[in-house]
Amino acid sequence: MTPERKFGDVILSVEHITLTFGGVLALEDVSFDIRESEIRAIIGPNGAGKSSMLNVINGFYHPQEGQIMYRGATRSKMKPHYAASHGIARTFQNIALFKGMSTLDNIMTGRNTKMKRGLFWQAIRIGPAMTEEIKHRDYVEHIIDFLEIQAIRKTPVGRLPYGMQKRVELGRALAAEPDLLLLDEPMAGMNVEEKEDMCRFILDVNEQFGTTIALIEHDMGVVMDISDRVVVLDYGKKIADGTPDEVRANQDVIDAYLGISQEEVGAVN
Amino acid sequence: MSTEGLDTFPKLLLDRAKRFGSRSAIREKDYGIWQTWNWRRVEAEVRALACGLAARGFTRGDKLAIIGDNRPRLYWGIAAAQALGGIPVPAYQDAVADEMQYVLEHAGVKFVLVEDQEQVDKVLEIQDRCPSLKEIIFDDARGLRNYDRTHLHDFEDIQQAGREFDQKNADFFEQQIAQGHGGDVAIILYTSGTTGRPKGVVLTYDNVLITARNGASFDNLTADEEVLAYLPMAWVGDHIFSYAQSYVTGFCVSCPESGATVMHDLREIGPSYFFAPPRIFENLLTSVMIRIEDAALPKRKLFDYFMRLARRVGPDILAGKEVSLVNRMAYYLGHLVVYGPLKSNMGMSRIRLAYTAGEAIGPDIFDFYRSLGINVKQLYGQTEGAVFVTLQPDGEVFPDTVGKPAPEVEIKITDNREVVYRSPGVFHSYYKNPEATRETKTEDGWVHTGDAGFFDENGHLKIIDRAKDVGKLNDGSMFAPKYIENKLKFFPHIKEAVAFGHQRDYCTAFINIDLEAVGNWAERRNLAYSSYQELASRPEVYELVQESVEKVNEDLARDPNLAASQIRRFLILHKELDADDGELTRTRKVRRNLILEKYLPLIDALYSDVQSCYVETQVTFEDGRTGKIAGDLQIRDLAAQPLMEAS
Amino acid sequence: MGSELLFFSETVISGLMAGVMYSLVALGFVLIFKASGIFNFAQGVMCLFAALALYDFLSADGWASQLLGFTIPLWLAIVLTIAVMIVLAWLIERLVLQYLVKQDPIILFMATIGLAYVLEGVGDILFGSDVKPLDIGIPQGASDWALDTMGLYVEKLEVVAAVTAALLVAVLAVFFQRTRIGRALRAVADDHQAALSVGISLRAIWVIVWSVAGIVALVAGIMWGTKSGVQFSLSLIALKALPVLILGGFTSVPGAIVGGLIIGVGEKVAEVYAGPLVGGAIENWFAYMLALAFLLFRPQGLFGERIIERV
Repeated sequence: MTPERKFGDVILSVEHITLTFGGVLALEDVSFDIRESEIRAIIGPNGAGKSSMLNVINGFYHPQEGQIMYRGATRSKMKPHYAASHGIARTFQNIALFKGMSTLDNIMTGRNTKMKRGLFWQAIRIGPAMTEEIKHRDYVEHIIDFLEIQAIRKTPVGRLPYGMQKRVELGRALAAEPDLLLLDEPMAGMNVEEKEDMCRFILDVNEQFGTTIALIEHDMGVVMDISDRVVVLDYGKKIADGTPDEVRANQDVIDAYLGISQEEVGAVN
Repeated sequence: MSTEGLDTFPKLLLDRAKRFGSRSAIREKDYGIWQTWNWRRVEAEVRALACGLAARGFTRGDKLAIIGDNRPRLYWGIAAAQALGGIPVPAYQDAVADEMQYVLEHAGVKFVLVEDQEQVDKVLEIQDRCPSLKEIIFDDARGLRNYDRTHLHDFEDIQQAGREFDQKNADFFEQQIAQGHGGDVAIILYTSGTTGRPKGVVLTYDNVLITARNGASFDNLTADEEVLAYLPMAWVGDHIFSYAQSYVTGFCVSCPESGATVMHDLREIGPSYFFAPPRIFENLLTSVMIRIEDAALPKRKLFDYFMRLARRVGPDILAGKEVSLVNRMAYYLGHLVVYGPLKSNMGMSRIRLAYTAGEAIGPDIFDFYRSLGINVKQLYGQTEGAVFVTLQPDGEVFPDTVGKPAPEVEIKITDNREVVYRSPGVFHSYYKNPEATRETKTEDGWVHTGDAGFFDENGHLKIIDRAKDVGKLNDGSMFAPKYIENKLKFFPHIKEAVAFGHQRDYCTAFINIDLEAVGNWAERRNLAYSSYQELASRPEVYELVQESVEKVNEDLARDPNLAASQIRRFLILHKELDADDGELTRTRKVRRNLILEKYLPLIDALYSDVQSCYVETQVTFEDGRTGKIAGDLQIRDLAAQPLMEAS
Repeated sequence: MGSELLFFSETVISGLMAGVMYSLVALGFVLIFKASGIFNFAQGVMCLFAALALYDFLSADGWASQLLGFTIPLWLAIVLTIAVMIVLAWLIERLVLQYLVKQDPIILFMATIGLAYVLEGVGDILFGSDVKPLDIGIPQGASDWALDTMGLYVEKLEVVAAVTAALLVAVLAVFFQRTRIGRALRAVADDHQAALSVGISLRAIWVIVWSVAGIVALVAGIMWGTKSGVQFSLSLIALKALPVLILGGFTSVPGAIVGGLIIGVGEKVAEVYAGPLVGGAIENWFAYMLALAFLLFRPQGLFGERIIERV
């Protein structure tokens, strides 16, 4: 059904990134790039440095060495605020939603970087600010429709089941109309049905909006099905990079996954 | 209202657009906002779609399958096909590909109008096996970007092409509509059929329109009703309530945002005319009760007090009977503090008329809604009769009847107690199945329902069972197992019941208790138990069940037709009847014959004078292992109640 | 109305009015605690500081008037004081908070204690430590209307305080629930990291919260200052706000209001009716006893979020 996919230029590349925490090496000389409109997976066993990598890209961690090239500009470190306002949105492994707020409000916060400044007008919500609010609400409603979460629009997210929270978090990231979407284990802790739904949403986002997606996953089976290219990390080092088929055939990858628990091996097959 | 010459839906549509063009016709919640189309816009949408279909080669007699949730565009699809002299064939949207293939192939569908990617995928999967299938049209383009578009079209593109076609062929739409007549086929509805392949019920415009009009005038429906369209479009009920009666009376139909938001949308729309199967009324009540049980004590007391009052005086107030001023005032107070908020919470504060049908509704549930002042009534209907066969008139509403014959409907009871009827709504035929048509419909238009029933002393029809399941006791009196079982199952403590009596001297029953309900009951009384079997064998539980059985007997004793079927002996089974053990179907219907065989020793014991019986049964556990459950079962005797005067 | 009942009503009303004053102070605490998890010990001093600044702007020999060469009108003085509080909030973020991000709450709490001393000292140096009568034209004395129609003695100032508090709460509620900044504030209060990832600037939010708390402090300062003069003991009302918070819950705006009212009424009624039995002065400790009882039986307060220990 899907014709040959074409990818654009490199949108982000990490170059020789090394990250340590008080002497403990989390990432060592890792380099790879992400191309426009592709689904790029970062996989690896537990503790391989996947989450650290994502946190470096979005500016939560600042690497000791190396640099990040994003949209042509090279920086030695990202800042979360800069990343967010320049089109990088993300989700978290342990869901970082605003639990007390409704689904709608949560996704509305995702529009934060899209809202014009002008605190005062915003505060009293009249005139142009009101029109702007309506415009953003309209966009958010499209996301709600897209993710099929109309039924929980007004529900405080803290009361939602886990799988739904993951979906809302994806919605909040999408609300920023990101160029690059970072997903930290989007399918962790989900049942089969929820995983299928999430896969469909990820593919649809990529297809419909052309959003570039970088995702970390633990469950290799799922990743291989939906990604275009895969980076494999092990003990903070890059051990493979390529299409799912290439990666699957890579001896280092097989060893890395065999070297750990049985359960992980199950996930590979 | 002049209905002269308006003998098809497209003609009605033109008339509505001309005379009531600015009145709301259909509504849909999209992106969080209710969007409304008035009749003029609906006419424009249907015109564009019909012309677009025609431009793609859809002609008179062609079939258009419609698959998806209730969406305005899908309803327009029905009207568009009809305008062109084609035949809409709605299919159940949750059918798996194989079932769908049967319908599309059997009906010889040429065009398909579907809601979204899910349905497109299903149709694409089976298109090779449906040679007649030419074009697929979808409403929601989501996820379909990379699909081959040769025979797959966006609804909007079809409409755009239609508008161009319309410009070039100015009178085409009107001319096509003018060619249709009341005797033409309006729609084919496939009955989901519990046994065998589904059958396509062919209904003419006269069938649907006349019954829809009769139903509307019976209940004085007006253009001001609010209706929520949420039941499957392939089901005759939705077709009558959300399509036919909307065209006939002009009321506005609202389509929910998604399947999951129905309850929420119900609250927002506040329908005045509402149809729901008993299951939905039951679920709504359960969710209310759960919240009440979680509420603080004073609130609970208040609720209990006013609900007792409501049960006492509510039904009479609703029926317009004499009620003392004090009770009226107390009821009004109850309305302010309990009934009003409760109804608004269930989305029922504006209901003028609600119907339930399909299966028996528990009297408690039925009374609950009526006591709140919600006018829930029962009807009896069939796809083959374009729904209405009997209806309960206002003021004559009873929980255990389905009402009086609807206007222009004649009903007979045959010698073997089967209900047969004749009406303007009687279907034309089963599509491409003359044999089944002959079996069901006689030469002179009488339809065999397959249901057994009789008229009670008020002239109301009572449906008791499937005709083939009704047996006879040895004294020749009627034995209707399902009727008795249903009565037992309406008690919350009883989950399943199997009644015996055919070719026996008296009636007996197996009972399955409801582990959760009886378990709670036992906990409140500090009765210890470790398993279903142990709980089921407690004498206290037997007492509890016996009370219920006695109440059922009392009820049966009121009816001269059924008084002989009182339960004289019963036992509580040592295990729950289970689909895994083959005792129930997957839809939880009792497999009578299998149970007759499997538990023969128990049945023999029921028809002897022993007081207990040893039993050993193989069971299948949830993980697939098998084991044995064994034990002594007690048998209880009950005295028969004398035949009582109907109260 | 019988004199017994009349007396009781008066007691309750004066309790309610006193309670409103407590609530005003507690409100400032709740705002900051909600948005940043910081228990701001300096809230009481902020009330004092705001009142001092306002007094100075208004008085003819204050340095602002001397600088400008004319006496500043009331509205301008209030606007200027608000500006001072916003600058103060900005300075606090710049000089203190930004260095303490991600630190334990106890460290932030300690920082606010330090802040309280600094503010008090600065206030002393800038404005002097004498008691200053603050008069911005709020009517004082008994309400004639209440006295004439019902024979009730009701302080006009307290009525004004109650109305002001109600307005303030309404404005805050709208601000929190209906504006984008409010949404961002709630977001930050809920989850810092998530807020960062959607591009909300934590530092901007902190300045806003402290500014709002400063404005609330100004309102409280005006009311207390009008009632008993601007004096350094004003900073001690922070201590009275503590039991209010324990009662109402640290994160609930309505809690702060209801808590304040309960304590106000409770201590007045206890003083009047139980006071004579124990030799009086119940007013001084009643609030703390009530708070203690709450800590034992409902530690999250009346309106606070339920405390769930994560295992």
